[in-house]
Amino acid sequence: MAGKIKVLLAKLGLDVHNRGLITVAKELRDAGMEVIYIGNSMPKEIIHTALQEDVDVVGVSSLGGAHLTLGGELIEKAKHEGLKERMTFVIGGVFPPLDATKLQEVGFDATFMPGATREEIVSSIRKIVSQKIDSLI
Amino acid sequence: MAEKRTTKKILQKKLADRKRTPLYRRDVLKKLSQKFEQWRNMTVHREDRKNWYVTPRTILGSDIPREMLYTPLSNPDFDYMEDLGHSGQEPFTRGIHANMYRGKEFTMRQLTGFGGPEETNERIKFMLAHGATGLNVLFDLPTIQMYDSDDPISKGQVGMSGVAIDSVEDMDLTFKDIPLDKVTVSLVTHYPSNTAILFPMYLALADRRGIPWDRLRGSVQNDITLEEVVRSSPEYIPPQACFRIQCDNIEFIRQNVPLWNFVTYNGYNLREFGTSGVTEMTVALANAIGTVEEMVSRGHDVDWVAERIAFFWSPASDFFEEVARIRAVRRLWYKIMKYRFRAKSPRSMWMRCHVQTSGVSLMREEPLNNIIRAAYHALATVLGGVQSLHVDSYDEAYSVPTEEAALLSLRTQQIIQAETGVTEVVDPLGGSFYVEALTNEIEKRILDEVDEIEKIGGYVTAIDKGWLHKKIAEYFYKERNMVEKGVIKLVGYNIYKAPAELPPINVFRYPEGVEERQKARLAKLREQRDNEKVNAALTALKDACKRGKNVVPYTLQCARVGCSEGEIFKVFKLAFGLWKPPVFW
Repeated sequence: MAGKIKVLLAKLGLDVHNRGLITVAKELRDAGMEVIYIGNSMPKEIIHTALQEDVDVVGVSSLGGAHLTLGGELIEKAKHEGLKERMTFVIGGVFPPLDATKLQEVGFDATFMPGATREEIVSSIRKIVSQKIDSLI
Repeated sequence: MAEKRTTKKILQKKLADRKRTPLYRRDVLKKLSQKFEQWRNMTVHREDRKNWYVTPRTILGSDIPREMLYTPLSNPDFDYMEDLGHSGQEPFTRGIHANMYRGKEFTMRQLTGFGGPEETNERIKFMLAHGATGLNVLFDLPTIQMYDSDDPISKGQVGMSGVAIDSVEDMDLTFKDIPLDKVTVSLVTHYPSNTAILFPMYLALADRRGIPWDRLRGSVQNDITLEEVVRSSPEYIPPQACFRIQCDNIEFIRQNVPLWNFVTYNGYNLREFGTSGVTEMTVALANAIGTVEEMVSRGHDVDWVAERIAFFWSPASDFFEEVARIRAVRRLWYKIMKYRFRAKSPRSMWMRCHVQTSGVSLMREEPLNNIIRAAYHALATVLGGVQSLHVDSYDEAYSVPTEEAALLSLRTQQIIQAETGVTEVVDPLGGSFYVEALTNEIEKRILDEVDEIEKIGGYVTAIDKGWLHKKIAEYFYKERNMVEKGVIKLVGYNIYKAPAELPPINVFRYPEGVEERQKARLAKLREQRDNEKVNAALTALKDACKRGKNVVPYTLQCARVGCSEGEIFKVFKLAFGLWKPPVFW
């Protein structure tokens, strides 16, 4: 694909834990992607920034338990703005195993749990982004 | 102006004057040294000779190289009375009490908090009924971040990761039927700002129940490190204002709630965020030094302040390092209080601490393995002589612990205490050639890092300049690399991986309907309270913030007239402005 993959990273809501997300920010940048890190934000602001920056990927992190409530809202808003087809939505954090399935059903393109390696994260983002581009052509 | 002398310089000078009486005779050591060299050359394999020092690579480790075998030669100047002393005696290396756990068992203080006050009250009663000896109450995300349950930013997060508290009404329900004058209560108010808001709600509750404040026992955290460094949040007040509130809390609580531990320097969350065991302790000590200086400059007596200082540590996987760290920081804190601040009361020199086993050391893969990990973490700290303990639950890489998992954590402590016999002898590893050498090394490394911070201009400046943020980021990238490369070995994750998926474990589910319940209660509060009094209390608080008065009498008045947490925090933001912490990636 042409150009750098542009990624927006945010902490969902008020979650306090950002070690994982900062690590991912650095790893994606080191892998050649352009990363915008906006810290704690609600779904509405995340979608607003995603539109404004015209990103390829929206990555959110949740370790505090709000993955389904706020994660679900994020995807709803993305659908409402018609972003789901052209942008990739991924979520990482601490959640029960069944919830990972639920998050994918809700519409996340990928979920990353504790233990996800750099390789897993980088390669699955690349893969999904290029699939989306192919399907749009 | 003469350059301010650092703690390290002061200690070096004071300790240089003290006469040492080494335990080992020079001539005996000399002979031993010859025998040792002989043994090393004749008996030890060449490979082992070459790799005499090995550095254990562990999660949250300190990268301190270890010898293959420790002997008196590893610590030739060992002076028993000067370096260890007996337990309950200066320099308190062996423990702060002469009889340690024979006199007082460690407090079993498991964290509790999820959902609304009603659910948390039930879990508190469950833990007490099963032998917990102290409470440790955790707040939900909006509460800890100081937003009300009905704030749009709290949506979908009320009652998660802790209990939702909006006002004194919720505090009342959380502690329903709990005798506040009988149990010790740790309120996990991480930040100075939320300590200044939530603790007064607890005091207002005590008033409601007619319990005098001098009968309340427990602790708050009240630590700038957590508010300004170890969290992600939409809004921060500046470090200087935050440090001032930390000291305001200390001053007010010391004056009015004499048995309460007004600060718990929280190394735990910092280390879990990503630092070595050395930096964890360095930062807590640097903050404590800054606090005592500030309190003295406010005109208070050193002992009056220091007698109630407490610490909170995270024990991770390098077993002997964890034992040695607790001993090392106990000795160093004693030296700082005695020689730098000239404290007189032995209590001021006691490094009293609570510990919680390391959460980030737990793995999602094969979660039952975490039971074993946490038990080793806990055992190490008991061997190190801590005062109070929380053991993490095996399912925490998934969610808040289930009741079953929480009980197992409590049982882990009870087994250590009642079945292993380790609590019968004080400081059982004291005198080990290895543990003493490691204790010395860790103490030295902590003091060196404290020196680094003081040379930057003190702890608050070190935060403001991003020194700590940067150090943390560097640490956890490095650690992640070591895990991915398999340098740090983790069973079931990067070695001995299970060939097939194991059956899923039972996972905690948050109760439903908490957000609606909290919102309804808040709406009722706002309707029933005297809103004129509320506005007057908030205005008076803003004025106190601006004029540099101690803020706590004003937040107390806010709590009494029914202000919500979010309303009080809003005043702090308006009065102090916002600050943007550096992010390094």
